[in-house]
Amino acid sequence: MRRTAFSSYHPIVNFTYFAAVLVFAMLFMHPVFQAVALVSALVNSVLLNGRRAVRFNLRFLLPLFVLMAVVNPAFSHAGVTILFYLRDGNPVTLESILYGIAASCAYATVIVWFSCYNAVMTSDKFIYLFGRIMPALSLILSMVLRFVPRYRQQVKAISDAQKCVGRDVTQGNPLRRARNGIRILSVMTTWALENAIETADAMKSRGYGLPNRTSFSIYRFDGRDRNAFAAMAGLIGVVLLGAAFGENGIRYFPSVHVKHASPFGVAVYAAYFMLCMLPAAIQIVEELKWKSIASKN
Amino acid sequence: MEIYRIKELSFAFPLQDKHALSGIDLAIGAGEFVAICGKSGCGKSTLLRHLKPILAPHGRLSGTIHYKGRPAAETDRRTQAADIGFVLQNPDNGIVTDKVWHELAFGLESLGYGQQTIRLRVAEMASFFGIQSWFRKPVNELSGGQKQLLNLASVMAMHPSVLILDEPTSQLDPISAVDFLETVSKINRELGTTVILTEHRLEEALPLADRLIVLDDGAVIADDSPRRAGAWLHGLGHPMFASMPSPMRIYAGVEAGADPAAPSPLTVKEGRQWLDRRMNGVAGGANAAIGRKRELIGESAAAQGKKPESMPSEAPPAAAEGSQSVSADGAEILPSEVPPSAAVAESRPASANDLAFADDNRMPAGAMSGNLPGSAPAADVPQSGAYPANPAINEATAREARKSAWRLLLDKPVAAPAAAPAVSFKDVWFKYDKNGPDAIKDLSFEVKKGEFYCLVGGNGTGKSTTLSLMSGLLRPYRGKVRIDGRNPAALGADELFANLLAVLPQNPQTLFVKKTVELDLHEIFDGARLTKEQKREKVEAAIRFAELEPLLGMHPYDLSGGEQQRAALAKVLLLEPSILLLDEPTKGLDGFFKAKLGEFLQKLNAGGVTIVMVSHDIEFCARYGETCAMFFDGGVIASKAAKPFFAGNGFYTTAANRMARHRWPDAVTAEDVIARCDDSR
Repeated sequence: MRRTAFSSYHPIVNFTYFAAVLVFAMLFMHPVFQAVALVSALVNSVLLNGRRAVRFNLRFLLPLFVLMAVVNPAFSHAGVTILFYLRDGNPVTLESILYGIAASCAYATVIVWFSCYNAVMTSDKFIYLFGRIMPALSLILSMVLRFVPRYRQQVKAISDAQKCVGRDVTQGNPLRRARNGIRILSVMTTWALENAIETADAMKSRGYGLPNRTSFSIYRFDGRDRNAFAAMAGLIGVVLLGAAFGENGIRYFPSVHVKHASPFGVAVYAAYFMLCMLPAAIQIVEELKWKSIASKN
Repeated sequence: MEIYRIKELSFAFPLQDKHALSGIDLAIGAGEFVAICGKSGCGKSTLLRHLKPILAPHGRLSGTIHYKGRPAAETDRRTQAADIGFVLQNPDNGIVTDKVWHELAFGLESLGYGQQTIRLRVAEMASFFGIQSWFRKPVNELSGGQKQLLNLASVMAMHPSVLILDEPTSQLDPISAVDFLETVSKINRELGTTVILTEHRLEEALPLADRLIVLDDGAVIADDSPRRAGAWLHGLGHPMFASMPSPMRIYAGVEAGADPAAPSPLTVKEGRQWLDRRMNGVAGGANAAIGRKRELIGESAAAQGKKPESMPSEAPPAAAEGSQSVSADGAEILPSEVPPSAAVAESRPASANDLAFADDNRMPAGAMSGNLPGSAPAADVPQSGAYPANPAINEATAREARKSAWRLLLDKPVAAPAAAPAVSFKDVWFKYDKNGPDAIKDLSFEVKKGEFYCLVGGNGTGKSTTLSLMSGLLRPYRGKVRIDGRNPAALGADELFANLLAVLPQNPQTLFVKKTVELDLHEIFDGARLTKEQKREKVEAAIRFAELEPLLGMHPYDLSGGEQQRAALAKVLLLEPSILLLDEPTKGLDGFFKAKLGEFLQKLNAGGVTIVMVSHDIEFCARYGETCAMFFDGGVIASKAAKPFFAGNGFYTTAANRMARHRWPDAVTAEDVIARCDDSR
C-alpha cells in the first residue's frame, strides 16, 4: 500500500469518513449525487492504489456496470414511458433503463469506496476502533490475524513433508488424495492444539486475565485530526440537512421526478462534493506543501 | 539480596513414581547470571517453571521455594506477571498478537497501565533492543531471531527483577543466537536484572554466565563458576562434559590431571593464550634444534611410535619441532609435507593416544554404542539392507573415512566411484516470484554416491531452497537438477520417494500422523503391497536401528526434540532410500542427542546411503561430515573434504580450529587439537 496523507489520520476520522460516504452512496440516488460520488470514489481509488486501481476499474467494474444496466430493463417493466416491446411482449420502459443505470452506478460506487476503505483502514486501525468498544474482541481479532499466516505456513510445511513420503493431496487416486488431505488436516490440528498450550502459557505469564486490562494504541487524536473531523462533521451535517429537505432524492417510478435545483440544493451538492473529495484534497494539498518546502531547501 | 531460595525441592508428575526433580537446594542472589545445563529431560524446564508458580506443572511437590523471602506460591499474580519474566523456547509460540508494537504492549495492557505509561515503556524497549525499524511490522514478517528478541523485549517492558529463559536460542541460527545471548548479557550487566537461563549452546553462553548449575536426572550435580563446574564435571567423567566449550575440553584433554585448581580457558581467546603459553613452554628447551626441523619430522614420528608414553619433561626435541615446523610455515601445508600427527597416527595404531582419538570421535555417546540394541541381531533381518548395523563394519568405515580425509588433505585424490552422481546440479537458477530476486543463482555441484555432503552457510542464502529443488517440490527455471540421473520434478512420487529419495523435514512434527510412535511407523506402509510379516520385520529393524524401543507406546509429540528426530528418521528410512536429505537436523538438539544423530548418520552412510545435509552447525559438520560446501548468495562458493574445508576458513570454522589454527591449521575438532598437543610433547 502506498502511504497517503489521509491514511495517516486517526482511525476515527478514517472510519467516520468511509461510513458516511458508503451510506450516502447507497441512499442518495439523485443523479448529481451519484455522479459526484462515482467520480470522487474513482479519483480517490486511483490516488490510493495507483495503476492497479485503474486496471481493476476498467477490467471488472466497467463490464459489471454495463451488464447491470442492461439486465434491469430486461426484467423490470415498471414505468410509464414505453419505448418498445420485447419479442415476448414485455415492454421496455425509459424509467427502468434509467433506474438500471442508477442502481449499477450506486453499486459500482460502493465497490470502489470499499477498495479505498481496504487501503486505508488496515487491520490494526479496525482492531483499535473495536477495542474501544469491546477490548476482548479486539484482542481476539489481533490473535486471529497472527494465527492465520502462521497456520498457512505450517500447512505448507506439513504438506511438503507429507509429499516427500508420497502422501500429499496431489498424489495418488482421488480416494487416496482425499485421505491424504484429511491426514494433513489432522496433523495440523494436533500441531495447533499442542502449540496453543504454549501460547496460553505465554499469555498467562504476562498477566493475561488480570482484572482492569487496558487497551493500548499507537494512535493519537491530534489537532490535525480534530480539524479534519470538524470539517467532515460540518459537511455531513449539510448533506443530511439536504436529505431532510428532500434535495438528495429522486423518484423513478412510475415516472421520473427530480426536485428542481434551488440555491440551497446547489449548496448541498457542493457540500457533498467537498466531503467526497476530502482525501484527495488533503493529498494534493500535502503534496503541494511538500514540493514548496523541498524547493526552498 | 536473595531472589530465590529453594530448599529440598522434589517434584513428580502425576501418575509417575520417578521424581522429575529431587532434593534441590539452591540460592540465587540478585543480579546473578545463572546458566543451567543438563541432558534433555533432566528436569531443567520443570525447575524453571517452578520458579514462576503460575506456569508450574501439576504434580506432587515437596520442599519450599521462596521468592524474595516469601513463599513463591503466595506471590500474587500481578507481581508474578510483572516481576518474573519468562521467555519460552519456541519464539513463535511466545508471540500472541499480530503487530510488533502490540506485542510489546501486551503485558502492560494486562497489568492495566495507562496509555501514556505504555507509550513510554514501549518506546524505551524498542530503543534498547533496536526494534525501531520494525516497530510497525506484522510479526509474521520477522525472522526467528527478531521474534525471540521481541519476546524478550515484551517481557522486559514490564520491568521484571528476574528474567527466566528456557532454551531461548534452540530454534535460532548461530548468528542470531549469539546476538540474543549478548542482549541477555547486556540486560544483566546494564540493568542488573537477575538472569536464569537454560541453554544447549554452552560454547557461547558459558563465557557470559557467572555460575553454572548442572542437573542430572533431577538433581544438582555441579553448582559453581563455569570454569570450576566444568573441571568438576571432567573429574566426575560425566557425559555432560562433552557439551562444554571446546577450549575447556581441549584443556582438560591435554592437561589431564595436571592441576585441577588452575582455571581452565573458556573462550577461544583464552584458549589461544593458554595454548601459546603451553607450547612455548614445551618448545622452550629445544630452541637449539630449530634449524633441523624438516629432516627430523619423519624421525619424530618414528620416535613417537616407539615411545608413545614419553613424558613431557623429557620432550624429544624433534617432537617440539614438529609443531614448530607447522607454525613456521604459517597456514600452508605443502602436499609433499606429511603433517607430523598424520604420520604418527598411522605409524602407531595401538598407542594409547590413538585409541583415545578414535573413541573420542563418538565420545558424548560414551558407552552407549557398546550396548546398541540394534547392532547385534543384524543377521535376523534379511531385508535390512539399508540398515548397516554391524559395529565392526562401522569402526572400519569410520577409520576409512578418517584416512580418506587425511589423504584428501594431502591432495591425493581418493579413487572416485565410477557410477553416476547421486545428486547433480548444473547451472541451476531459481526464483520464487516472477519479478522477485533469484534465490538460486547459477548453482552447479555434484554429490557422489555414498558421500556425506554438508551444505553450510548463513540464513537465507538458499540452502533449504536447494533441498526443495532436490526433492522436486520446486522446479528451476533454468538449468538441470538430476537425482540419480533423473529429473526429480518429473518423476512421480511413487518412483521418487520409494527406494530413492527420503527427506527429513526441519520440523519432525510435520511427519507424525498417529497416536503412538509404533503406529506411526506402520503408517508409512499404508497402501504398500507387503505382507503383514514383512511390514513388521521392516518396522522392527528400523526401531532397533533408531533405538526407539522404550518410546514405542508414547505419543510422538510427547517425545523430546532429539527423540522426535529419531522417530522421524526411522519413519523416512522405512522407505529404504539410497539418498537421504536432511534440513537442519541438529536444530534444538543437545550435545548428547547430536552425537547420537551423528552416529546414526555415519552408520547409514557406511551402509551406502548418500546423505545431503543442510546445516548451520559447523561443529557437527566438521565432526561427522565427509564433504562440506559453503553456500552463499544462491550458490556453492567452495566445496572440499570436511577437514581441509574448515582448516581453510578463517571465521567460518569450529571453535577448536579458531583456537589452534595459528599452530595447526588442519586441526579441526577438539580431538584433533588434543592429539596434536599430545604429539608435540
